[in-house]
Amino acid sequence: MSSILLENKKGFEALLMGNDAISRGALEAGVSVVTGYPGTPSSEIVEQLAKVAHARNLYVEWSVNEKVAMEVAAAGSYARLRSMCVMKQVGVNVAADSLLHIAEYGIRGAMVLVSCEDPGALSSTNEGDSRPYAKMMEFPLLEPGDFQEAKDMAKWAFELSEDIRSIIMLRSVTRLSHASGNVTMGELPVVSPGARFECSGTPMDQMIGPILAFPTLIDSQRRRQLEKLSKAAAAFEKSPFNTYTGPEKPELLIIASSACQLYVREALSILDLWSRVGLLKLGTTWPLPQKLLGKHLSINERVLIVEEGTPFLEDNIKVLAAENAKQVGIKTFFGRKDGTLPPVNELNPDLLINGINHILGTTYQPVSDAYSSKAKRITAVGAPDRELTFCPGCPHRASFWLIHDVFKLDNRSGFLCGDIGCYSLGAAPCGFSTIKILQAMGSGTGMASGFGKLDQFGMEQPVMAVCGDSTFFHAVMPALVNAVHNQSDMILTVLDNSGTAMTGFQPHPGTPVGATGISLPMVDIEKLCRAMGIQVEVSDPFDLKGTRKIMLDLLENGGSPRVLILKQPCALSPGKKGEKKFEMSIDETLCLADQCGCNRFCTRVFKCPGLIWNTEKKITQIDEVLCVGCGVCADICPTGAIIAGEAR
Amino acid sequence: MNTIESRSTQRKLVDGMQINGEVNLNKGGKSPQGQQGINTKVLKQGLCTGCAACVDLCPSTEYYKDNIILLHECDLVRGRCYDYCPRTPTDFEALRRALFDPRDMIPELGAFKGLYMTRAADKAVRTGAQHGGTVTALVQLALGEGLIDEAVLSDHDEQFLSTAQAVVDGDGVFGSAGSKFVVSPTVSAFTRSSQINPGKIGVVATPCQALALAKMKVNPALEDEIRMEKLGLVIGLFCGWALDWRRLQNLLQEKVGDTWIAGIDILPSKHACMEVYTEDKTIKVPIQEVTTCVRENCSYCFDMTCEFSDISVGSARSSEGWDVDKGWNQVIVRTALGEKLIARAREKGVLEFKEIQDTNIEKLKKASVGKKRACLLNLAKKTGSRDDLVYIDPEDPVVQYIRTLSSMQQLN
Amino acid sequence: MENALKCDPYNLIIAGVGGQGNVLASRVVGDMMIHQGYKVTIGETFGASQRGGSVMSHLRISARGGFSPQMPKGKANMVVALEPMEAIRVLGTYGNPQVKMLCNTRPIQSVGVICGDQVYPEAKQIVQWIESLTADAKFFDTTHEAAKLGNPIFGNIMAVGALAATGDLPMSLKVFKDIISKKIPADKVEVNLKAYQIGRSLIGNR
Repeated sequence: MSSILLENKKGFEALLMGNDAISRGALEAGVSVVTGYPGTPSSEIVEQLAKVAHARNLYVEWSVNEKVAMEVAAAGSYARLRSMCVMKQVGVNVAADSLLHIAEYGIRGAMVLVSCEDPGALSSTNEGDSRPYAKMMEFPLLEPGDFQEAKDMAKWAFELSEDIRSIIMLRSVTRLSHASGNVTMGELPVVSPGARFECSGTPMDQMIGPILAFPTLIDSQRRRQLEKLSKAAAAFEKSPFNTYTGPEKPELLIIASSACQLYVREALSILDLWSRVGLLKLGTTWPLPQKLLGKHLSINERVLIVEEGTPFLEDNIKVLAAENAKQVGIKTFFGRKDGTLPPVNELNPDLLINGINHILGTTYQPVSDAYSSKAKRITAVGAPDRELTFCPGCPHRASFWLIHDVFKLDNRSGFLCGDIGCYSLGAAPCGFSTIKILQAMGSGTGMASGFGKLDQFGMEQPVMAVCGDSTFFHAVMPALVNAVHNQSDMILTVLDNSGTAMTGFQPHPGTPVGATGISLPMVDIEKLCRAMGIQVEVSDPFDLKGTRKIMLDLLENGGSPRVLILKQPCALSPGKKGEKKFEMSIDETLCLADQCGCNRFCTRVFKCPGLIWNTEKKITQIDEVLCVGCGVCADICPTGAIIAGEAR
Repeated sequence: MNTIESRSTQRKLVDGMQINGEVNLNKGGKSPQGQQGINTKVLKQGLCTGCAACVDLCPSTEYYKDNIILLHECDLVRGRCYDYCPRTPTDFEALRRALFDPRDMIPELGAFKGLYMTRAADKAVRTGAQHGGTVTALVQLALGEGLIDEAVLSDHDEQFLSTAQAVVDGDGVFGSAGSKFVVSPTVSAFTRSSQINPGKIGVVATPCQALALAKMKVNPALEDEIRMEKLGLVIGLFCGWALDWRRLQNLLQEKVGDTWIAGIDILPSKHACMEVYTEDKTIKVPIQEVTTCVRENCSYCFDMTCEFSDISVGSARSSEGWDVDKGWNQVIVRTALGEKLIARAREKGVLEFKEIQDTNIEKLKKASVGKKRACLLNLAKKTGSRDDLVYIDPEDPVVQYIRTLSSMQQLN
Repeated sequence: MENALKCDPYNLIIAGVGGQGNVLASRVVGDMMIHQGYKVTIGETFGASQRGGSVMSHLRISARGGFSPQMPKGKANMVVALEPMEAIRVLGTYGNPQVKMLCNTRPIQSVGVICGDQVYPEAKQIVQWIESLTADAKFFDTTHEAAKLGNPIFGNIMAVGALAATGDLPMSLKVFKDIISKKIPADKVEVNLKAYQIGRSLIGNR
């Protein structure tokens, strides 16, 4: 079972996930340094490269956050190594400060920033779109349109980066990163790079001078960067990643980037419009290839622009058309801004079919009205949505149960500021709707620090923040320092489940291993907090009684920041190996079921998926397949009907 | 509670509180008669007394720091929490018929078999208690005589937060002596204790707690029938009002800061103030400031003398005034069981008796009517209608009586 | 290459609940097709939670390729459902009168059902609904069969076996063996082969 990424037969064709294709491209380009912070849909890239790190002599790390990941990768580049930095779209915002300086200075060894974005926010707290950074910070942007391109463009990004000595952004989306398709492999090069940071030259010398962002140097650095953009634009004019398919004089020109080009192809085939509509697929989306676009714009009056995220291409192509109005003439543009395509959310072939029909007046009906109305009717009754929930035995369920209860008991309308991870579901019914504010990484603690200072304006509500162990290191630490220094009246509860669970157990500074599996020293959250001078309590969320008491005491004794660390590994963590702590069973004679005195407390209120409400027998049962034997439900049962027995 | 304290008892009587067949105590109509009803009709209306009759029946409701907390929603349309709550619609007349001899009924004071002025014979008991130590002595007697096997009493912690627990001997009773100014979860302590212990249980209760126990006793749910047979004695406490714990904390913080407080007392009538005792001095807090801490629900209370008890005890408010009877209790005996208990106390010499003036009963009646009248006015004001008294039936004979009294006074 | 597909593209949906091994099943089918020279696009949809949510894989199998990872509405040729409620959900969006269905009958209750907010439909009702929305539907209890092999997770490979038995796709035992041997540890190959065979036999004659 060796990694497909190491397959060294040139021309070998395999089914690769988009993220694996990007990894393969980086390997074919001879990447040496790979960094990142986990985040869906980006995580597999660093993960898979970590697995081949030894075989390919790579340095791979999960960095503490995206900004540091960017800096570690830049160090590789400044030491003349090829480096890659990987994150999801919201992570680019975290990295943005360093990104600006790296972009404006330029790089030495090739440096590629991979941003895997999540249009429609399928697994994010926001859609976001990182492409405007390319324009704002003046660096080239590539958007692969399928799986083969993901591999090929990743490889080319390194070459281009080194050609023009600029960072390059490669932007993927969920439907490429997490989808799979045929990819034909290239060769894996033999590389033996040496690392050395040259600083003997003057600050003006990009390759051997000290790397300084001084006010007096900015003018020349930006001029240098703009020249590089011009070189990139020239390369893009003849790039094979920009292709045109369609008639010579189409009725409608569609310009599409990313996975959207696949939706356009599908829509045009289904509508049988290839003889009337042309598709200009753009793989290089900043700087725009002016001549190529000018040529196509001048022969088309109507233009539909199709892209994931914000109307980035749409706006910039409109500017280009305006600047060249004399040559290309007056155009009618369609896209996300005029309502031809929805202004938000991800696209798909059906939305494209609708949009094209709207422009051309064509029609399409995939199935008869009779069938679709019958299907709709049956689905509405027969397939209600599966509400998101914590896994059976998830420590977060117990933690939010406790937080919910202590806020209720405290009775001062206390509230919880959430953060990013599986535990964001604390805002949902499975977390007893406990989280009341949920935004960015680390923002829960920062906001709690703020709320905790509003007593002078009469604020009496207690405030608590939660964060996961990985998030603690990522962005919570500065917020906590802020709370300590300003003596904010708040509690931080760290839900320490021993890994970056949501994205697949990537290690972080609090775990004793690194990305490649090597042993590393772990940074102790408890000691860190104590060193900050904070009162720290540590408890096990599965100890409901003990933890509740600690929480109530913490709530009562306000005035300064307090930290509670709730330690219990994730139910899916490799460490637990699926072993049950308890063998759960039900004493049916004790179960009060739906009577006054219980009213299905375990299944109706606690609602762990490991429990079943048997509607016929009117009794609670254990789902033997799903239950992981954490034993928490035995503690909430008012009559002792749920029994936590010795594991077999 | 602004009341009188604790302690005592005597041998069990067969007919302590009788049950009279099927009685519909809740006249609720169609609205939800479960936790949802408790929430909308009691808690959100500021009517909750904190008696904790709804607590320990199920895991969805808890008591914490003198508040009833609905931790998790329960969607049952009918629940015991609602049935037993002293502030859900109640048929008082049915309760009176079920529990007392109709010949003993006095509209102002409830069932009445006699009024006594007493104090504990044991000086140590008197010192530990705040007034006469009668309750402590009676509970100790009841336990000692085997009339009850345990007694549910309230106590408070250093922050004056009340707790309630069952004790089985005299020493435990002694530890709980002294006035409480914050409500205690007494009924839930009875519920808990009766769940696990087989014997008879005596409860020292405020009027709202005693009313809850009466509702439970007269019309128990099927699963509580055995439990309610264990209720052997209710010693009532006269009560004017109770304080909200958090507001009391804030007031004390304002008055004495972080200084350690040995105790507090609230003096009635012309002395009206709260005394806060620290290690080396006594700080007087004007009663006007104290009354801002009173729980809202107390203004909707119809009962000063704890009418739904076997025997009820309060501080002496004799016509000679506070100073003369300081250190004495007034005791109203309401049932045959109460009668037997006080007789036993006299026989065993655990109580000292003092001759009582005839005017005392008139003073008590006047005070009780004053509370009842205020309650009716406050409830009518709350609902905007004389005919909607939330949990009290406007047709109730005592309500009618109080209203007649009031209109006569207005005519005069 | 001879195109052995029933139609091109052949649109296959494998649906289930997180934790049922849906993703592995779709990868195995995809790898088997690519192994024989086809172009495959697989799109996965799953929510933020690792387990318990609806999971669906779209497989676009073709001799020429270039298809979207998101299947257009009403375009499924075959639905393999590892869970019955998910079978209905898929048909609501991707069904059509010609679609075929292979359906595991063992329900996985959603949290909504556990807590009483939702009702899980009766088994008979589900079968009736599915039959009314498909041209050909086959039902089997792979969870039960898989449990006999020691773990209900093998239900996913059984479903792949059942798909092979329909003959819609070129899925010989030999190709399956080649692929599975590369994907999983050697000691697990035998039991997966067994699961595949049982899956084939559930459909009957092949």
